[in-house]
Amino acid sequence: MTGKQKKQFWNAIQITLILIAAFIMLIPIIWIFLAAFKTHVDVYQLKLFFTPTFENFGTVFDSPYHLGDKLINSTIVAGVTVLFAIPIATCAAYSFSRFRLRFETSMLVMILATQFVPAVVIILPFFVMFRDLGLLDTRLGLILVNLAIVMPFAIWMIKGFIDGIPLETEEAAMVDGSTRMQVIRNIVLPMAAPGLFTAGIFCFIIAWNEFLFALILTNKDAVTLPIGLALFKAEEGDLWNLLSAAGIIIMLPMFILALIIRKYFVQGMTMGAVR
Amino acid sequence: MRDNKLKYLLVLPAVLVVFATAVWPLVESLRLSFTVGRLTKPNFPQGYLGWENYTWAFMEEPAFWNSVEVTVVYTLVTVVLTTLIALGLAMLLAPGGRFRGGVQTLLILPFAMSPALIGVSFRFMFNPEFGLFDAFFGIVLPPLADISWLSDPTLAFVVCVMADVWGWIPFLTLVLIGGLASIPQDTIEAAQVDGASGWRVFKDITLPQLLPVLAVVLILKAIFSLKTFDQIYMLTNGGPGTATQTLSHYIYFSGMKYGQIGYSASVAWVMVIPMVLLTFLYAKFVFQKR
Repeated sequence: MTGKQKKQFWNAIQITLILIAAFIMLIPIIWIFLAAFKTHVDVYQLKLFFTPTFENFGTVFDSPYHLGDKLINSTIVAGVTVLFAIPIATCAAYSFSRFRLRFETSMLVMILATQFVPAVVIILPFFVMFRDLGLLDTRLGLILVNLAIVMPFAIWMIKGFIDGIPLETEEAAMVDGSTRMQVIRNIVLPMAAPGLFTAGIFCFIIAWNEFLFALILTNKDAVTLPIGLALFKAEEGDLWNLLSAAGIIIMLPMFILALIIRKYFVQGMTMGAVR
Repeated sequence: MRDNKLKYLLVLPAVLVVFATAVWPLVESLRLSFTVGRLTKPNFPQGYLGWENYTWAFMEEPAFWNSVEVTVVYTLVTVVLTTLIALGLAMLLAPGGRFRGGVQTLLILPFAMSPALIGVSFRFMFNPEFGLFDAFFGIVLPPLADISWLSDPTLAFVVCVMADVWGWIPFLTLVLIGGLASIPQDTIEAAQVDGASGWRVFKDITLPQLLPVLAVVLILKAIFSLKTFDQIYMLTNGGPGTATQTLSHYIYFSGMKYGQIGYSASVAWVMVIPMVLLTFLYAKFVFQKR
């Protein structure tokens, strides 16, 4: 083989391998998508070609499943968590980025470390406390514990974005007589806006997919979507077509959000987000 | 307001939230780990026991050691497999271009999927009657069809590992692609001109330069593997028996199902210790990069 042929040959092998890998990565998702549009009977007959139906998406919202309630809970819990986390994290991130603080490194390491504490460790005291305070099975309780996983990550991520904003504009405005708060409001916030938006979406995905806290702290009123999946276990086994439809309702919005912020996904994840 | 006051005021709310939602519960669960801590009995947490919960776990509970073993094996296998496959995939995708870029975008999808849902979809695919794998083997390798994957201890563990590796390959691949992109191309080209083989270039140039990124990825993956819960809960719920019961799952069960908060807090703290070590290792690398 000549050099050129050899190169073409290698390229073909690489592309084949990539296609196989991509296919394997997509199989579980495709499988769920197919099942969601199948009837109960088609699921059990393993049909690859079938007449698609939207019936499952109606059924999951009906009695006795009421997936709509879980959808509302998930949206409120994730949304409010983000609304609290982002402003608080932004203030801290600005300060960490622009000033020298006493114990700065210790505080940053502590914040980073809390990100990695197993959820199952911190949930035990929360369960006991919430039981005494009557916060079990409430959205408020869930929002409070979700802040625990979202805050450290939001601080680190937003700090990264503010670090990237050049100091000169801020200094010039200070020389012109602006106060620090004016500088933050008029210069830093507009420039950091894409970063804040990205961090917000990230935190929303984390809170939306959160499982263990919701599993332990909710049982009826405040149940979120991932816990709602347990509803589709009937006496005769799992109702796969309904499970799949619910699965799509959980993952499709997250796919869209993830694609919106895809450029920052890796950067954000290295800071220890999710799971 | 002067900056030197303002700067602390800005940090205060965040530090308070982190203290209340992470530091306090950690300390409180340490305290609970020395108590009787029966959830269903009155006067919770019913007085102090000293180290009894810990000695009980270590001396009297085979289930504890079982979950330690499951977690350690699970962590080792998933970390090695995920890293190797992701490294290969990253090398394939690193050159970029429209096709490879498109696949990189696709990789984000599995990644936005909640671990609980990953567990559900794998349970579905490995269903012995109408799962995808059953159908696949029915055509390709009939003797392997009709295996009930999730009722066999070893196979159930394998399926859990597969689900985990599947869920983490995209992230590790994307991080490693970023690492590969930051290696200067001229050294590689110079070596190729000198006639070095592809393997030599990889071993002597690419791999050493990728090492810092690889270290971060390994530690991060180890941390997440050690605390695996969601997938396991949805996929096998620790079973059959306790074949796939990770530490997190064991803590959840003894604490929430049996109401032994004191005991499960002590096991939780046994788990915190390797986590702290890994976290400091990770923090060291992150701060080194700056």
